[in-house]
Amino acid sequence: MPVPWEALIPFGLVTVMFGISGTLLNVSTKAQNLGKPIRHNIDNWDEMMMRRDEQLTGHRRGQRDDPVPPPGFETSSVWQTEKTA
Amino acid sequence: MSSYQPGSVQTRPYVDPTPLPDDIPKVQELGATSGPLKSAAFFIGAYCKEYNEDFMLCKAENRDPGHCLKEGRRVTRCATNLIDKMRENCLSQFQEHWSCLERNNQEYYLCRKPERSLNTCMFEKLGLTKVIPGTPQGQKPIHEVENPVFKAIQK
Repeated sequence: MPVPWEALIPFGLVTVMFGISGTLLNVSTKAQNLGKPIRHNIDNWDEMMMRRDEQLTGHRRGQRDDPVPPPGFETSSVWQTEKTA
Repeated sequence: MSSYQPGSVQTRPYVDPTPLPDDIPKVQELGATSGPLKSAAFFIGAYCKEYNEDFMLCKAENRDPGHCLKEGRRVTRCATNLIDKMRENCLSQFQEHWSCLERNNQEYYLCRKPERSLNTCMFEKLGLTKVIPGTPQGQKPIHEVENPVFKAIQK
């Protein structure tokens, strides 16, 4: 009896499409977060600390435990400005 | 209003390179980022208690940024001192704990095992314990509970 292999094509397609999109999403998020999982439930404190981490290491997820900051850290704060006139 | 309206918020953030005036004493800022600081948080609370309380009481009087600079310098120096000591004595446990925190959304409850080894090392070498203020009397602090309800899915 010939096996109806054509009926399994949609299953294969759906599996492959889920797999590819899941993999791409995973790779994209890992690449944006330096190989670590995404940080969720970020409140204003965490946002402020991540901005400070960017000042110290150059990336929002970068970490270092050296007590001595890189040179120029004291004056590298970023301020949002608004034109009023 | 169908023509382009330029917004008032500038798209390019502004960096001010002017340093502090020379009459303010200089202090070296703490170069540790959020993960190591969160790992060391309770030990900073135990080690620098007086300076932290001084600073917070001073800030409670006046929230102006220029008001409590002296107490702030003391806090920074104390925290820098503690991070130096932690790195000298318990470097591997410290790095293990903050790497674990970074992989887990900086949640304490997901990193109890490295935390326990860091706590024992800190107690042996520096005599500091992690105390959670506000724990109800008679209840074990959550970091000492053996089988907590909220834990990591995998062992």
